[in-house]
Amino acid sequence: MADMSSRSQKPVDRLGLAMRASHVLVAIFVVLGLICAAIGAANQDTFFLRLATEALIFAGLALSVDILLGYTGLLSLGQALYFGMGAYISALVLKEVPSFWLAMGAVLVASFVVSLLAGMVANRVRGVYFALVTFGLAQVAARAVYNTRAIGASDGLIGIPIVPINLGFGTFMSSSPAPFFIFTLAFIVILYLISAYILDTPFGRILVALRANERRVPFLGYSTWNARLAAYVLAGVVAALSGALYPMLRGFVSPELLFFATSGNAVITVVTGGVGTLAGALYGSVILTVLKSVVGSMTEHHLIVIGLLFMAVVIFLPKGLMGLVRPRIERMLSGGDR
Amino acid sequence: MGGITDYIQFVLAPQMITGLALGVAVVLVALGLTIIFGLLDVINMAHGEFYAVGAYLALALGASGISFWILLVIVPLVMLPVGYAVERGLIQRVFNLPDRHVTTLLLTFGLGLVIEEALKIIFGANTQRPPTPISGAVELMGVLLPSYRLFLIVIGAAIVIAVALIINKTTLGSLVRAAAFDSNMAASLGVPVKRVFAWTFAFGVALAGLAGVLLAPIYSVFPTMGRDFIFLAFTVVIVGGMGSIAGAVVAGLLLTQIQAISSLIVPPVWSDPLLFGIMVVMLVVRPQGLFGRLGHG
Repeated sequence: MADMSSRSQKPVDRLGLAMRASHVLVAIFVVLGLICAAIGAANQDTFFLRLATEALIFAGLALSVDILLGYTGLLSLGQALYFGMGAYISALVLKEVPSFWLAMGAVLVASFVVSLLAGMVANRVRGVYFALVTFGLAQVAARAVYNTRAIGASDGLIGIPIVPINLGFGTFMSSSPAPFFIFTLAFIVILYLISAYILDTPFGRILVALRANERRVPFLGYSTWNARLAAYVLAGVVAALSGALYPMLRGFVSPELLFFATSGNAVITVVTGGVGTLAGALYGSVILTVLKSVVGSMTEHHLIVIGLLFMAVVIFLPKGLMGLVRPRIERMLSGGDR
Repeated sequence: MGGITDYIQFVLAPQMITGLALGVAVVLVALGLTIIFGLLDVINMAHGEFYAVGAYLALALGASGISFWILLVIVPLVMLPVGYAVERGLIQRVFNLPDRHVTTLLLTFGLGLVIEEALKIIFGANTQRPPTPISGAVELMGVLLPSYRLFLIVIGAAIVIAVALIINKTTLGSLVRAAAFDSNMAASLGVPVKRVFAWTFAFGVALAGLAGVLLAPIYSVFPTMGRDFIFLAFTVVIVGGMGSIAGAVVAGLLLTQIQAISSLIVPPVWSDPLLFGIMVVMLVVRPQGLFGRLGHG
């Protein structure tokens, strides 16, 4: 990791330390995930493994919201735009050519281009206006998809074929629950590591500085525009690549993936997990999925519980669940260094 | 030439007058939203749900035999303490955090979810429609218009004018504007800022409730009614200028006319993307909207 070099420095690099604490939390997350996969595979389970895979896919979307909210302080209310775009492009490619890598490549290129263009629009404004521009852009896209017959309109696209996923050392089918779960876990963790690496470089520090005092950063010789745009593109690509896995898991895509509810859920996930921790997005997504299926099995009005929990977190735990846990790990890490 | 006048009389004019009624409805919902933003600097994502609560209150109380005209007074009065309690109990708790915009937006977003689900639990998910208080139709410029829509246009205009006068011309309004402009200075001059903020929020919520009563007979009552309407109201508030009453009126009428006329040219399903597109362009070109912010110059 890039932060290894900061280990020996004396005053303690707090940002680097926080990032290492996040890495520890993600490592724990991976171990827990693998245990779940082992239990699921041993029981020949399909339902729970697929649910867990879906939680991981939405964790990727939450991760992208956290890149923006946690590092640039900008709230995106339209991140479902990229998630849904990734899902649709992946579905369309897979229907023509059932090639996993082609689908991922197409999503990567398309999301890079679209987020670059949309970022140039959205980054012209700040604060609450940014939230509303991103909301508006996603809404335009959602309505357009919803009304376009050629891509299934309100019905979405069904019958996306099962694809073989060739990882070089072996091939498995997207329909087999345990391998696809482990693959998704690895994929999301790689997205996390790439994001964490980028955000821990000097570029990431510019973002943190921007959040602290935007007017002062240009005086230090850094471009605020480029940094913001780069963060926006990174977030868009992460969301789209996560979304690309969705049709492989479920075999269909629907315009709901682009709706405000999807973006809103990702925001709830990040705030509950802990803004600016990256690891919080992963834990938050799992916690919300578990909560939804547990409360959802008792009452169809599970949203009221989620809403109340969310309000309580905003008021009483502004740093989210990771805000409770991460400082302890930071203390352990810094204690181990000396 | 007859073709053109026929087109205007039988196609364009009815469309524009129906659009006008919708415009007044949107302005009524946007009014509370823009006041709460302009004066408190709070994005109230739960505003649409307060609008729904007003409509459901009207439905429930109306079913127990209370006349529509009394409901027009009672429902806003019931909504006042609700709004006051929400401001003091929830918004005040996070009001002074550094990221006020984001935090209050998130908090009211959660509140909206809770209210919407509560409405589903209490009243069920079905669509209901209270009886129209004024039946019949009147002819306006050769166009047949339901009397209730005409009433809505008239009372809507009266409400907007009354609210603008209260805020801009009364002592009460000057207290509110002073607190919004510089809360520290206002507080040191003896303005009870916290209470003023709470009452302003309550006032905005009461306006949402009033809009709910007025619009229920036209647009029906269902738990997600607020969500459907609030997107349009947000667009209006943004295009008009967050916090500007004049802006909300101009943008509300303009956008609904664009929607009404454009749906003659393109399929109506595309009018929503068109409006959101206008909102995005407006935000990028002129983020402060058509008009400046309330209480700020």
